[in-house]
Amino acid sequence: MKSEPFVIERVYNAPVERVWKAITDKNEMKQWYFTIAAFKAEVGFEFQFEGNDGSKTFLHLCKITEVIVNKKLTYSWRYDGFPGNSFVTFELFAEGGKTRLKLTHEGLETFPQDNPSFAKKNFEMGWTELAGTSLKNYVEQVSVDK
Amino acid sequence: MRRDVFQAIADPTRREIINLISRQSLNLNTIADSFDVSRPAISKHIKILTECGLVVIKQQGRERYCEANLKSLGEVSDWLEQYRIFWTSKLDALESFLNKDAGTSGKKKSTKKAKRK
Repeated sequence: MKSEPFVIERVYNAPVERVWKAITDKNEMKQWYFTIAAFKAEVGFEFQFEGNDGSKTFLHLCKITEVIVNKKLTYSWRYDGFPGNSFVTFELFAEGGKTRLKLTHEGLETFPQDNPSFAKKNFEMGWTELAGTSLKNYVEQVSVDK
Repeated sequence: MRRDVFQAIADPTRREIINLISRQSLNLNTIADSFDVSRPAISKHIKILTECGLVVIKQQGRERYCEANLKSLGEVSDWLEQYRIFWTSKLDALESFLNKDAGTSGKKKSTKKAKRK
């Protein structure tokens, strides 16, 4: 069982304030992340959102545990009806006019990884998003930029 | 060269090919016609996609059809790898969103502060 957190970093061509808004404003979040009924960047604020793979809906339950405006946002991340709990952290670092985003997802090993249907469903959900809107937007954006 | 899901989706043209054929199987010519790049280049991408297990070629009469094999993604066994794909797609989408937004609401090119590190 691995227990090291999952980490991924990106540099965005936008100032930290801009990226902070994209990850904390529900109207912006729904354009790249998930549709969330209400979101407030405040410790203790709870929110949830659904991911759908076309046949089954997965309810994500989250609670904010740390907020440093323009710098750091952490929330818990678990799935309704399944054991386990994880934490997602977005950290922003200003680099000139750009922003380096470091995303850390800890505690994934607490999820029932030996449950293939859960693993698969969850995965398909991400894939559906990838093959659908996100990928489409991304690809179109890339081809416009080039 | 590695041949896995990440290799498959590492290239924007390959992502677009997957996107195209995820809706319906298409023959090689139809796929190639959708892109500006050369036909041999598309063939090469499709070859990589088949080697990564994401595309299956099916012979139908004279035509060879490319079918997306998205199920192969479900066979990725490493839990962390699954999240890697998920977050990669999300952070790509964030990039796309930020770019689009910068394009529509006045370009902020003046934030070049040229501070030498």
